[in-house]
Amino acid sequence: MSANGPAPAVEVRDVSRWYGDVVAVNGVSFALEPGVTSLLGPNGAGKSTLLHLMAGFLRPSAGEVRVLGQPAFGSPDLYRRVGLVPEREAVYPFLTGREFVLLSARLHGLPDPAAATARALREVEMTDAAERATGGYSKGMKQRVKIAAALVHQPDVLLLDEPFNGADPRQRLQMTEMLRRMADEGRTVLFSSHILEEVERLGENVLVVVAGRLAASGDYRAIRQLMTDRPHSFTIRSSDDRALARALVAEASVTGVDLADGALRVRATELAAFTALAPRAAQRAGASLFELRPDDESLESVFQYLVRR
Amino acid sequence: MTAIALVAAMTVRQLLGQRRIIVIALLNLVPAVVAVIVRTVDADGTAAQLVANPVLEWTTLFMLPLTALILATAALGGEIEDGTAVYLLSKPIARWRILAGKLLAAWGATAAAVLAGAALAGAVVLAGESGWNVLGGYLAALLAGSFAYCALFLMLSLLTSRALLAGIAYVFIWESVITSFAPGVQRASVREYTLGIADLVAGAPADVIEAELGGVLSLILMAVVSAIAVAIAARRLARFQLSGEA
Repeated sequence: MSANGPAPAVEVRDVSRWYGDVVAVNGVSFALEPGVTSLLGPNGAGKSTLLHLMAGFLRPSAGEVRVLGQPAFGSPDLYRRVGLVPEREAVYPFLTGREFVLLSARLHGLPDPAAATARALREVEMTDAAERATGGYSKGMKQRVKIAAALVHQPDVLLLDEPFNGADPRQRLQMTEMLRRMADEGRTVLFSSHILEEVERLGENVLVVVAGRLAASGDYRAIRQLMTDRPHSFTIRSSDDRALARALVAEASVTGVDLADGALRVRATELAAFTALAPRAAQRAGASLFELRPDDESLESVFQYLVRR
Repeated sequence: MTAIALVAAMTVRQLLGQRRIIVIALLNLVPAVVAVIVRTVDADGTAAQLVANPVLEWTTLFMLPLTALILATAALGGEIEDGTAVYLLSKPIARWRILAGKLLAAWGATAAAVLAGAALAGAVVLAGESGWNVLGGYLAALLAGSFAYCALFLMLSLLTSRALLAGIAYVFIWESVITSFAPGVQRASVREYTLGIADLVAGAPADVIEAELGGVLSLILMAVVSAIAVAIAARRLARFQLSGEA
């Protein structure tokens, strides 16, 4: 307990982590409370490094990571209250799903490991496949049995690294509901993803990480709005680019127009507004639109915009 | 079941359920084949001399370190490599207990394979002959040597991702070549400790087991080397960090 009230479930304070000359995480700070939080960022952004720091599998090069009030690194006792689902697919291929989860329950020293195992397998809908060796499981099944092993001791904090990898849409929905349920029970759930739609479905609270830095954090809807309202760039081809350029430049949401290489490049402030006004402007200019293509809709460019803000 | 026993039992299944166990079984049948040849060709020497050299000396020189190397590096190094080590390390268990479970499993599997091969080969040479004390001495020494090699190679697997290569270099360069040219270095060779202990336990005449180190000194040095290897491995595992992936 701090002087100002209970400590957050997870507290990351001015944390950096580097490997030799490579900086994986740079001066990141945030705190997690009970509920679902998503850690969003492109591949290589530092999401796994952050998760490993919180899971006690990496020592911060600078700063401090505390989980449930204790330093995350070098505190094996913390695992009584923390569950981790690693990103890597490998599980012990010679164990059945039930044996894999049971091993986890026994290593946690649970009073009734068999009952806890059965409950965890039910939670992830793996009871029917529980007697099969995990070596024969699909990627989605391995993911679910890993989750069952991580929640067999009903942890207060659950950390999941790309948990939706390999899951089919029905499994994603079921997993989403399960994580929501855990959050409703007062647990702190953090999952990483590089897919915006996964975050949209589950994470009210979002941490956006780009190039090792925390680019944005807060309510998902506010961040989504920021992403939508950022400046956009389009390439347009029409029957009369020069006339269309004149028409577009008169629009308030258009901030710049270039004519080059037989195409028109337009910068606009709002994605939705511009896609609606462009055809009308073409009509006024007496030009036919052949192509209207956004230039920078990759997730990386969206993230980069958030970093530059 | 304690955490150590759980880890050991799981590791034994892991080690036995793989193709490497066939390689290890074949490797440890070599002394029995040599024993059959020795009996068939009616080689010079008493049964006690022949069981010591070549049969059981070969076991000490090659079968013991290679079996330990294959099993001990797989016991934990393989899991670190494929990422499954996280499932054990993310449990509320002191890391030394995990190491103890791994070491017990590797030692048990190594000793079972090597001792079975040595006992079979020894029995072939000694059937109807005297000199069983030499076999007894070797079996005790191989049991102790299995532990020392497993501790050493388990430590290597925590220090480097190329533990198999480092272990091969230790066995075939350090113990086979360098100790021949620099006799003082024999004090840093698990092979020499094993031969010294075999000589001590067997109580055989001097020309039977060619040990360079005294039995008691071998016992002490083997205990010290094993303790240091276990301590380094435990410290390393307690501070284990996942390798970098963003």
